[in-house]
Parts: sequence; structure tokens; C-alpha cells
Amino acid sequence: MEKKSINRRGFILKTGVGLGVLLGVGVVACGPLRRTIAQKVDEGGVGYKNEYEAYIWFELQQDGSVILHSPKVEMGQGIFTALAQIAAEELEMDFNNIKVVHATTNHGPIDALSTGGSLTVSTLYQPLRELASTMREMIKVNAAKLMGVPANTLTVKNGEVIGANAKLSFAEIATKSTDWHLKIENLVLKSKKDFTLIGKPIPRIDLVPKVKGETLYGIDSTFPDMLFGSVARPPVFGAVFKSAEAGNATNMPGVVKVIIEDSFAGVVAKSRVQAEDAKKALKINWIMPDKLVQQADVEALVKVGVGKDVIIQKEGNTAILKNEDTFTKEYYSPLGAHAHIEPNGSVAFYQDGKVVVKMSTQVAKITRDDVAKALKIDAENVDIQSQYLGGGFGRRLQTSHAIEAALMSKSVGKPVHVFFERTEEFQNGVLRPPTHNILKAKLDANGTIEALEHHTASADVAFNSAILANIFKPLSSSIAESLVGADFGAWRGGMIQYKNIKNYSTTAYHKELPFQTSWWRGLGLLANTFAIESFMDELAHHSKQDPLAFRLKHLPDDERGRSIKNVLKAACEKAGWGKSLPEGRAMGLACSIDVNTPVAQVAEVEIKNGQIKVKKVTCAIDPGIIINPDGVKAQTEGAIIMGLSATLFEEVTVKDGLATPNAFGYYPMAYLRDAPEIDVVLLSSGDNPRGVGEPPIGPIGAAIANAVFNLTGKRLNRIPLQSHIS
Amino acid sequence: MRIDFTINGIPKTVDVPENMPLLWVVRDVLNMKGTKFGCGQAACGACTVHIDGDAIRSCSFAAQYAQSKHITTIEGLSSGEKLHPVQQAWIEEIVPQCGYCQPGFMMSVANLLDKIPNPTDEEIDDNITNICRCGTYYRMRKAIHRAAEIKSSQL
Amino acid sequence: MKKIHSIAFMAAFSIIILSISSFQIQDETALKKEKSLDSFKQMLTVIKHPRCMNCHPSDDHPRQGNDRHVHLFNVQRGKDNEGLAAMRCNTCHQKTNNPYSNVPGAPKWHLAPIGMAWQGLSDEEIGESILNIKTNGGKNLEELVHHMTKDTLVLWAWNPGKGRSLPPLNQAQFAKAVKDWADNGAAVK
Repeated sequence: MEKKSINRRGFILKTGVGLGVLLGVGVVACGPLRRTIAQKVDEGGVGYKNEYEAYIWFELQQDGSVILHSPKVEMGQGIFTALAQIAAEELEMDFNNIKVVHATTNHGPIDALSTGGSLTVSTLYQPLRELASTMREMIKVNAAKLMGVPANTLTVKNGEVIGANAKLSFAEIATKSTDWHLKIENLVLKSKKDFTLIGKPIPRIDLVPKVKGETLYGIDSTFPDMLFGSVARPPVFGAVFKSAEAGNATNMPGVVKVIIEDSFAGVVAKSRVQAEDAKKALKINWIMPDKLVQQADVEALVKVGVGKDVIIQKEGNTAILKNEDTFTKEYYSPLGAHAHIEPNGSVAFYQDGKVVVKMSTQVAKITRDDVAKALKIDAENVDIQSQYLGGGFGRRLQTSHAIEAALMSKSVGKPVHVFFERTEEFQNGVLRPPTHNILKAKLDANGTIEALEHHTASADVAFNSAILANIFKPLSSSIAESLVGADFGAWRGGMIQYKNIKNYSTTAYHKELPFQTSWWRGLGLLANTFAIESFMDELAHHSKQDPLAFRLKHLPDDERGRSIKNVLKAACEKAGWGKSLPEGRAMGLACSIDVNTPVAQVAEVEIKNGQIKVKKVTCAIDPGIIINPDGVKAQTEGAIIMGLSATLFEEVTVKDGLATPNAFGYYPMAYLRDAPEIDVVLLSSGDNPRGVGEPPIGPIGAAIANAVFNLTGKRLNRIPLQSHIS
Repeated sequence: MRIDFTINGIPKTVDVPENMPLLWVVRDVLNMKGTKFGCGQAACGACTVHIDGDAIRSCSFAAQYAQSKHITTIEGLSSGEKLHPVQQAWIEEIVPQCGYCQPGFMMSVANLLDKIPNPTDEEIDDNITNICRCGTYYRMRKAIHRAAEIKSSQL
Repeated sequence: MKKIHSIAFMAAFSIIILSISSFQIQDETALKKEKSLDSFKQMLTVIKHPRCMNCHPSDDHPRQGNDRHVHLFNVQRGKDNEGLAAMRCNTCHQKTNNPYSNVPGAPKWHLAPIGMAWQGLSDEEIGESILNIKTNGGKNLEELVHHMTKDTLVLWAWNPGKGRSLPPLNQAQFAKAVKDWADNGAAVK
């Protein structure tokens, strides 16, 4: 055991007859601002400041089991398992006796802002351990009372409190104890070497229900006597709802009511298809945009040199790059879709001035506020009950359908279920913004970079988002944006990490598009890493240096630099970097660091009938303390395949105000046949867990492009690579 | 329209519009939520069920054609407590992440193994064209081969 | 003499008559062929339309859409022209067009056998392929006419569902063209 300094946290206790005991803790987050925000975000030190804090609740049941009410949602990233491992470790109880559920907003301010940013485990690790050990000590104190011995003579193991002559189970203690208002002092947390659960590849706790098809997702939610709503959504980018007439919709089969609100019109019917059919009969007046958005507009707006520019990183002086002999390259990535498989949907039940909404959301608390505002009721009267998410990826940070369901339910007096059609997900959801990057460098006689400039242009990610607005509430979004400076979502991954270079800078350019763009797994990480790491490769080849050695020599010898060097070496060693490969194969290397988690990847590719085929990806990742190695591997494999899909295939273009394509199949994505073999090497440095969900999506684009260059001598500087190979 | 069929071995009668996709009959009328809605365009495979021994995307299957058919959904893939070899393999390889697409995948794979007991990688690639956005494909391939082993060992 | 005369006359008359009728026959054959070819030309506007051509590929991949792109999802012919083992045509296509998924459908949705591949063929070759009993699925002319005018999958071309263009002739016009083509000798060149 090791003494840890425990932050002053407000523990909250709720007890009740037959309820056992509920113990909660607020997770205090720090709030970096202004100039430091860029650095903080880059170094993963961000906690979001808010008047609310995330709350974790434990519930000790009378049968001795514990329910952990998670303030963060499970969208596949495996956090329920990781949180249960952390909690059971300190509680000294059987892992199988912990159940994790989504906290509802009725438990208070359960989540400051969102589940996202790869922050769940890294931010909850410490407070969760403190809370769990507090609970363990409380159980021990009450056991001592029941046994009539001093608490310090007791030990806790496997869900039992053990004394010299007797032992009591958690169930017995929970049943027999009445007073839980106990003061726990001198809390000690377990030391790393004593961990028995943390670090074990325990199968994820939602595994069996998911394999049996029993897990319920947001769109699966029901209420008895539920009706089905369908909402008419804007036909093109920029169209705004003005008014509507019911037309023939009222008389169509199954229609219960035509709903015409201030902001939308729709139909409530007895079945989903009847609602869909009737929606088509509505006569909607849209305020159409003056001009329909075209792809050329998008490309003209997202361009280095266009829009507001902010220097986010500067060291030394890069003036020498103005010379004509400067090595300059540019890179592009397109609009992209989340393409999560569970469309957004929610069911709301409004009754007596209160509303319950069941849904998949990454922002339960923001959704609660939005629904309250739309229904003109207090937030306390809105309960958002998060369900399992069928993929998140940033798409569930926008939850307008909760408002639609709530308003429709209020209008018909019954529960109403509303969801997005797949075409609406493409057209009326939000897209990942495109990017344009220009990099410039000059090498000295020894092939060392003397100066490096990175210019990165993109559209809204954090800007104009509910999350940013919520952080800076009640400031207006323009003030918030000027405080933040550059859109930290857009330039994520864009900072130069090769800090052995004497002179370097990064400038971010931002321009809003005429339609909403937003968060997508890793935000700018994939595109910015694609640019920087392709460029590093180009420089290495240009100066005839080994890409690995070239990277290593430009990384500094500080902790951060060493952590990147370590993953580079580990990935290359495992992949056999430099070994001879079969005819028609080549390797490419890239690395990145995101939320302090360094990742390096070696992609091995071949080209068959003009198709880039990634045969194998070897990845080294160092996420600090690893709670569940299998979970980390799963996230890494998933991020690699999602990143590969985006890099090789995916692209949305805009034509006449329409997102094109707007259907699966036509939106080209990776299928089973496109998935490579993946070998993940886990490194673990430091005393805290770091983020895992997003960091491994960083290097994959550049690793593939660099491999294609090694194979063909052709440099692909535009994502999606497959569209530009021939 | 009145339609009679058997689902997971149980006879059912429903009264629904004739063209209502079977998916919504299963999900909304019978309240069985294991069969998922992903696109409604037969393009992602999340809604895959078995109908008289074929893997069918139920979002594109009008209720009227279910008359007298034998339908199996993910809830009926196992026989009682004993999980189907595909489900066992999915657990061994810890395939699901968000899990939403997985019932459709498992139904497609179960059907593939009925028709090709020991599929090659190429046969897997050609026949399994569902979409998983979490990117569990690498584990899925391992699980498919493992399921083939489990299934053949049970014969 | 008279008898001889009359015989000679009869013979000469017969020759004249015969040559006249042979003239007429030759003339009529040419006319018929021309008519048949004309009908065939009309038929080709339908045959070469995406609604028909998409399911008569010369490789193992159906085409789809008005632009005749390769069928998404790597859909393949399979052994029985109805798809692969677990990726059958009926995985997605049922007996009628689906109004919600907009997936087209007709009874026994399948690819034309490889012998009936039209893609990349000249007009004449398409015609020969249609008539070749070895490649057309063993159909004689009568059965061929039946297939082209009554087969439910062929008829689907005139009820293809939302977003799919119609062949340039309507179904009645096409049926008439097929019938005229056959009646006039099923000429293809």
C-alpha cells in the first residue's frame, strides 16, 4: 500500500431503507484558458472547466454487489470494463459482483461535458480509486462495529471483511449496518505492484449480452404504448424551416397527429412506416439559401491562407523558409462522415411537466439543458437516460432529435420515438471538415532540419459546437472562440513534436463552412498527422536518409520525445523495419502523440489490380498504466481500421447543397476484406493511464501513404488515397 | 394484412401493412430488439435474419413475404442456453466493441458456415459484406475460422 | 400439234408463273428480313438499356444504376447465377420492388447465364447470342419470344422503382417489336 495525496473532494452520501448506500464523488477538472489552452490540449492536460462536474456514484446493494453509475457512456471503447476493474481493485471485491450502468441525469450533474477526447479512464482513474477505497474503508468501519473490534485489525479481501476470529461478507455488512455517515481519514490507495485486476485482460463485461443480441441501444429504447414520429429535415445545406401545412398527411393510415412546431414539422403515427409515408405528404415551406453550396465553395474556403490565422506554436525563427530553395509540399483530406451504424434516435415521454428521454448520447448533460430550454421547463424536470451507443465517433455530440421527440410527446401526450434515416445521417448530421496542409522545411548540409513550418487549414470542429458553448457559457460563441484562439479540434495533431529542430512554427487557419462540420474520432489528428508524417518521409527520402533514423534524430531527449522514440523503435523492431520483403510489398512508417499517448505504426502494403491493399499494420502504443490490455488492443485495432477506411476510401463531396453520396455502399468504407493483420505492441510508462480511443488513429494515413511511396515511388498527398492512385 | 410465420420456433400472427419491412415487424411489433436497423437500404447488414435457411436483410423484406416462413433472429441463434458456435467464437475472440452491428454479422456468418463449413479467407471476404464501423474485422476473421472449428468439432 | 402446243404453252406458262412467284418470294423474303431487322433495331434500344444490360454482364459482377456501375458490395454471380453461398441475390432482392429500402425486386431475381452475356458485344453478336439455343438457355424462337415478352424479370424493366430510368420503348412497343422480329424471321444481320 502506498499513501497518496487525496484531493479534497466532496463526497456525497445517500442512504435509504432497502437501498443500501449510495456514495458519490465529483470529479474536479481544471480549466486551462487563453494562451495556455493550445499547449494544454496538445499535452492532453485538458480537463474541461464547467460549473458542473462529473459525478461517479457507487451503490452498495444489500446482496453485497456494487452498482457503479458511470457518468461516461459506453460506445464500444470498453470503459465500463475498465472502470469496473479500477473500482473492484480498490474495493477488494469479486470483479463479477460489480455491475456498471449508465448514470441518468437524475443523479445530478453526472457529466461535465461529454464522453469523448479519450479522457474517460485518464480523468476518472484517480477519483474512482479514491471513491472506491473510501467505500471499502466505510464497509470496514461498519464491519468493525458489527464485530466489536477495532477497524485497523481488519482486512478486506474478495468481498469479505476478515478479522482474527470472524469474517463478514459485504452483503451482511450492507444489510446490518444503519449508519453510513462515517468519516474516513488516512485513505491509502493500492500501489501498482499490488494490483490484481488492473492490468488483466479481462473480457469486456458487456461481451456476452452483446453476443446474444440482448444489449439495448438508444434506438432500441421503448415505453409502453409508444408512438412513432418522423421529422421533415432540411432538403439541402442552408435550408431553414419556415412553416408547414398538413396537406393530406392528417388523413393517411395510422396517423395520430401532424406536428407543426416553430422549428420543425413532422408526423406521429402508430407505426414507423406510416409516419414515414405521411411525412412525405406534408407541405413544408423552407427558407432556401441564396445559392446552393458546391464542392468548389468548400475547397475555396478551406485553404491555407484563407480565414482567420492563429500561430499556435513558435520556436526560433523560420524566416529562412521564405527563400526559393525551400522544400514545400501540400496535403489534403476531404469531408468525411461518421457512418456509425446505429442511426440517432430517441424516445421521449412527457408527463405532467416532466420528461424522460432514453437515447444514445455523448452529451447527456447538454442534451438535458437543450430539452429543458425547448420545453421551457427546469432542467431538473428532464431526465436523460443514456443507453449503450451503437458507435459514437463524435456524432452523438449533436442531439436535436431529443428535442423533437420531447416536443412530439408533449403534443400527443404519449411516448414518441424519433430517429434519423440513413440518408438524413449523411445530409442532416454533421461532417468531418476537410483539411489543407502546407509544410515547408530547409535541411542543412548534414540533412538536419534547420527550420520547419506547418500551416494547417480546416473548418469548424470545436467552434460553433455545443461543447465549446457550454464551456464558456454564458459568453457568446465569438467571444469564446477569440479566447480559445484557434479551433483546437481542427488543429489537433498539428503541432510539431520534432523539437530538436531549432526553428519551427505551426499556424492554424480557420473558416466556417456554409453547413455544420464537427467532431470526428481524433478530430484533426488523422489529417494533420498524415500531412506532417508524409512530409517527414518526403524529407528523409529527399535527403536519402532512413525514415526511422531521420525521425529519431529530430525528436528531443525529454520525456515526451523519448516516449515517441520508444514507440517508433518498438514498432519498427516488431515489424522488422528494413528487412527484405516479398516482391511487390513495401513498408511505411509514421508516428504521432495525442493526449500524451505516443503511437507508431508500420504499414505493409501491396497493390493489386490498382487497389492499395494493406496487408499488415504493426503498432506500438504507450498509454501509461494499462487497465485492460485486451481493451487497449481492441481500441487500437479499431482505430487503425477506421483510419485505414478514411485514408483509403472515404470522401463526401457537395453538389447543389447535397452531401454526396448519402448511402452506405456508395460511401466507400472498409469491409472485412480490407482489414489487415494487426500486431499491437503495448508499452506502459508512467503512473497514470492516458487516452487510448483516439491516439492510434493518428499515424495510419501517413504510414500507408509512405508505404505506397516506398512501393511505387509515387507520393499520394490526397486522402482518400485509393481515388488518387491512378 | 394478417400474416402468419414462425420466428425462433414460435408461431406468430401479426396484422401489419403488407409492405412494412420485416425488420420493423420484428423490432416494433414483436419487440425483439436484437435485429438492428442500420440503413434501411439493405446496405449494411445490421438487420440480417435467416428466412427458410437463407441470410436475408430484413429491412428490405416486405412483411407480406413472411407468410408461412421460418424466421430465425439473433435471439434464436443459440439453442437454449447453449450458444451457437459463432457466438462461442465471438466470445473467445472478444469481437464486439460497440456491438451494434454484431448480431447481423453473426447471422450472416452462421449462414455462411451452414453453406460452406470451412470457408477460406477469400470465401469469407466475398460472402460477408456487412459493415462494422468500430473496425472489429481483424478479430472477426479469426472468430469466423474459430467458429468453423467449433462447429465441425460438434458434428 | 394442238396438244403439243398446249403442253408447250402450259410449260411456258408454268415457267412464267413460277418465275413470277419466285420473284415474289424473293421480294417478300427481303422485305420480311428488312422488317425483322427493323424490329431488331428497336429491340436493341431496350436490350442495350441499363435495365436489361445490368443483368447480362460478361463477367461475374452484375451492374447497377443508370450509369451501369459494378454492383456494390462485391456482389457476384455464383454457381447458379443467384449469388454466392451466403451472399445471394435474395439476401436483398425479393419478389417486388421494396418501397422503403428502394431495393428492386421481381420473382427469381438473378443474373442472366454467362452464355447470355451481352456486355461488350456488337449488335449482331447480341442477336446471335439471343438466338443460339446452346447459350440462350435452350429456348426455341417461340420460347424466346415468351421470355422477352412475358418473363417477370424482363417485365420488371418497365416497373423498375424510384430513380431508375425506363427503357426507350414501352412494354407493349417492345413486345410488338419482338413479335414482329420473330414473325419476320428473327433476323439479326
